[in-house]
Amino acid sequence: MEEVPIIEMKGIVKIYPDGTKALKGVDFSVKKGEIHGLLGENGAGKTTLMKILSGMLHPTEGKIFVNGKEVRFKSPADALANGIGMVHQHFTLVDVFDGLHNIILGMEGHGLFSKIDVEKAKEKLQKLMDELNFQVPLDVPVEKLPVGVQQRIEILKTLYRDVDVLILDEPTAVLTPIEVKELFEVLRKLKSQGKTIIFISHKLREVMEITDRVTVLRKGELIGTVNTRETTPKELAKMMVGREVVLKIEKPPKEAGKPVLEVKDLWVKGDRGEDAVKGLTFEVRAGEIFGIAGVEGNGQTELIEAISGLRKVEKGKVILNGKDITGRPPRELYDLGMAHIPEDRIHMGLVIEMSVAENSILGLHWRKAFRGPLGLIRWDKVKEHAAKLVRDFEVSVPSIEAPAKSLSGGNQQKLIVAREVSKEPEFIIASQPTRGVDVASTEYIRNYLIKLRNENKAVLLVSADLDEVLQLSDRMAIIYEGKFVGIVKPEEVTEEQIGLMMGGIKNES
Amino acid sequence: MRVDIKGFTKPLVESLVAIVIGILVGAIILAFSGYSPAEAYIALFNGALGSKYGLAMTLSSATPIILTALTFGIGARTGLFNIGGEGTVYFGAIMAIILTNLWGNVLMGLFGGILAGMAWMAIPAILKVLRGVNEVVSTIMLNWMAYFIALYIVLQKIPNPEDPNKTLAVPVSARFPIIMKGTELSWAFAISVIAALITYYILWHTELGYELRVSGYNERAARYGGINPKKAIIWSFLLGGIMSGLAGATEVMGRPPSYAISQGMANIYGYGFDGIGVSLVGRNHPLGIIFSGIFFGMLRAGATSMQIEAGVPLEMVKVVQGVIVVTIAIPGLLDLLKKVVRR
Amino acid sequence: MIEAVISTLIGALTAMVPLVLTSVGATVSERAGVVNIGYEGIILMSAFFGAIFAEITGNPWIGLIGGAFVGMLLGMLHGFITVYLKGDHVIPGIGVNLLALGVVAFGITAYWGTAGQHQVPTNVRVAPIINTPYGSLSPMVLITIAIAILTHWVLFRTPLGLRIRAVGENPEAADALGINVERYRFLATVYGAMLAGLGGAFMSVDWLGTVTKQLSAGRGFIALANMVFSGWNPLRALLGGFIFGFFDNLSVWVRTNPEIQRIVPWQFVATLPYLVTLIIVAGIIGKVRPPKADGKPYKRE
Repeated sequence: MEEVPIIEMKGIVKIYPDGTKALKGVDFSVKKGEIHGLLGENGAGKTTLMKILSGMLHPTEGKIFVNGKEVRFKSPADALANGIGMVHQHFTLVDVFDGLHNIILGMEGHGLFSKIDVEKAKEKLQKLMDELNFQVPLDVPVEKLPVGVQQRIEILKTLYRDVDVLILDEPTAVLTPIEVKELFEVLRKLKSQGKTIIFISHKLREVMEITDRVTVLRKGELIGTVNTRETTPKELAKMMVGREVVLKIEKPPKEAGKPVLEVKDLWVKGDRGEDAVKGLTFEVRAGEIFGIAGVEGNGQTELIEAISGLRKVEKGKVILNGKDITGRPPRELYDLGMAHIPEDRIHMGLVIEMSVAENSILGLHWRKAFRGPLGLIRWDKVKEHAAKLVRDFEVSVPSIEAPAKSLSGGNQQKLIVAREVSKEPEFIIASQPTRGVDVASTEYIRNYLIKLRNENKAVLLVSADLDEVLQLSDRMAIIYEGKFVGIVKPEEVTEEQIGLMMGGIKNES
Repeated sequence: MRVDIKGFTKPLVESLVAIVIGILVGAIILAFSGYSPAEAYIALFNGALGSKYGLAMTLSSATPIILTALTFGIGARTGLFNIGGEGTVYFGAIMAIILTNLWGNVLMGLFGGILAGMAWMAIPAILKVLRGVNEVVSTIMLNWMAYFIALYIVLQKIPNPEDPNKTLAVPVSARFPIIMKGTELSWAFAISVIAALITYYILWHTELGYELRVSGYNERAARYGGINPKKAIIWSFLLGGIMSGLAGATEVMGRPPSYAISQGMANIYGYGFDGIGVSLVGRNHPLGIIFSGIFFGMLRAGATSMQIEAGVPLEMVKVVQGVIVVTIAIPGLLDLLKKVVRR
Repeated sequence: MIEAVISTLIGALTAMVPLVLTSVGATVSERAGVVNIGYEGIILMSAFFGAIFAEITGNPWIGLIGGAFVGMLLGMLHGFITVYLKGDHVIPGIGVNLLALGVVAFGITAYWGTAGQHQVPTNVRVAPIINTPYGSLSPMVLITIAIAILTHWVLFRTPLGLRIRAVGENPEAADALGINVERYRFLATVYGAMLAGLGGAFMSVDWLGTVTKQLSAGRGFIALANMVFSGWNPLRALLGGFIFGFFDNLSVWVRTNPEIQRIVPWQFVATLPYLVTLIIVAGIIGKVRPPKADGKPYKRE
């Protein structure tokens, strides 16, 4: 007799208020007592699906069944009451509380005004930890603990609330290899106790090692569910990356020139003090597009910030046209011929409350062309400049005095590209240049990047959109945990190989 | 002039609504306390606007608070909460008195105000840039320290030998000429308006102003755009200091009959705080501040008439001011009202 | 000599009441993440209304409760604007301070007909529990100490306190666990303002026995300074309040002592609480850290 799945999600659709379709009708079912992997690239929809299951988000359409009964979650508390708990990628811990208090918060066990029975809670937790065979210091402020231990506290937090289904979102992203092994031990122990685990990841090797079954999502759709024992990393990679109709871009062959940007043994730390970039060495030459592909969170952001002067370089060098620019501030870099299309157009690339005209000179506002006597700005020149940008790049604006927030995403991005190009750079960084951008603007921007490359500029492209990197790059690298897994030419590598590399597995035949 | 019309009407209406609510609540309190609101407000408006004398007094009352409002407004535009104008005013006044008594001319007096203002406001600036000290905390502490230090200087260092209730007076050669005889309106008012216009030009027509405003909206975008946020912070405080320093200087140089600081600093006390309200109602925009300052000046000027003719204690206007500021703190005021009205 | 010590002690203990109450209240509010700089105004208004309640009922204790009640109302106003309407935390406080100046100055003349100052009749003032020739001690001193200790206990040993602190450090974490962030923040704000109100009423109905428009004299801000100085801890605020109260008294003593005046002017002693706070906040002497989500309105995605 077919057992009723412990979790069943039917026809889940999620459309965000800004129109993005994150999930396009996904069915997902999980058997009791299994470790089920949820695999996919960035934007595939894995986290969104699980946020819906754990009560953080509401589905636009679709139903959820727990043990065959339909449920509707209004908040994470509802999901918890139904035995479903999620450990997020970004921890929700109160830094200054110790492990014990983080775990019992909200479930202290008795009236609001009575003393918290620390001893009793400790006993209960110790029992739990003994059962699972992992220990966690309960009386040290969480902020002082290593990330792996913090994660265990997050796991304990859900287990303390008697969850039957534990969802883990990219749990190994912040762990060392040894901590990963220890985590897997815990997961196997939990499974033996009858718990069900959903394991979200983009790391193929780990998924192969720990899961019983794997479901692959791609661009908001279900691709398929397989038994882990009956599949291979290659097959999973193919499902993840797939083959699809792609806009063909004209790219004449070009001989690249001398190196414009040279990065030598670069080490950069992330926001939590961990090493995000671990000794990268590469160069970008004149007349070429060097692409960096990879799932977000593998160090790309920190790399770009370090090169563009927005983040400290711990070790190593960045050289532009032969000049050492390591650690120099953005203003100097712009004056030395660098331009930067940032990955966050709303919080960095533009000041959305300001007008299109005012945004058109961000990063070039000190140039003589716009300056009058006494440090005054020549707004007439600025308006001319803005009008030209808008015209040349076909940016659709109500007027150049309109605030930047009134433009669509695609037009905002085109405005930024237009502005950066107007700096007449020799080297340009394009970070996630077409994310959230409409098809027409996407095509425009991609063609423009090719144009720059044809004009002998050096372009560094960073994108989570693999197709984009494959089409546009002359050479490309896949970044994984702060290192390059390989530097290849797009035409010389198969999609399976790329999928493998993105999942951390080096070229294997 | 570059004005965004659509973005201009909503804040203007919100300020007007806050003012109306302030006046209404004031009316309720008046009625509750046994006064006639109609009589009180008529006396107020008549006193402030109904005669040449009233108008002159309105503008004269507006003079210092326009300047202190600019301090808060410049800070706000840079993303800072600079409420240190109060203490800066004291030092501006003191420095003006000292310098004009050494060199009896108007320029030295103004220079004194500017110098003292910049020096005193450099402190919270440095604390923020070097140690990350929150400027709300630092400026409040510094205001109080300024009060006591200034009090000491006023009582012990520059008292008037002939009148122990006052400091030395600003010499005649350094006083602002009176525009209208018999009133307190002096050319100091022109300084206020000029300062506001200059502030407007700096903020919207110079490279520095552009950098200040970008920093105020979004620090990440500012750094990405090649702007040094520390530079922006320091300039914001220095400019703000100049404004409040000038407020103190113009008060002693332009306020007859004493042209001095009196009785425990009572005549220069409170301008900094009033300036915050003026700036908020003026939406932190120099041009709005001019009009808002004149409105608050009107309240101040009309208050005495209200007291004399309607018997209402003049502190009533402070009640109205307080309600206006609390009301304007409500975000999305207009949208909220629309919701209430629809019910 | 003994007289000087005892009278100084009593003076400091009395002066510390409004400071400690306000600091403890402010601590709870900020621990939950809500900044309120309007205590100056709350103290002033509660002093005024507290005196009125005492005189109408003939009972000083009703006056004290009335003051706390007024504080509570002002706390609800602040909480409504900052917590529910997600408004700015600093501006309403500025408004309340301005409002208080106006209401009290206006009210003194309107209600009692005197200009600027009103003496609260002795029969409606709180009776001291210890009377010495060098000063008398009010029961409020003991009540204040009790409140500080109790608040500390609740804040650090009970689920209520745990949730209040969670909501001020990481509201997202608390929200994810089903804790109503807004409710806890609102209650913390009201509690803080209520204690400040009690402190204000103490000044008119007990300690100074007058109502003037300058009554609070910066004590609301000194209490905030004490809160920072004490690292957002009610027990330390008790100690800190005593120290600040001591200096409050000291500056008065210096002022009335001409020989000392020659060495150190009283005004410089008066700046000490503010100077010390500034030094601490600048991290020069030790580091204190406000609750992480302090002053930031919380909106769920």
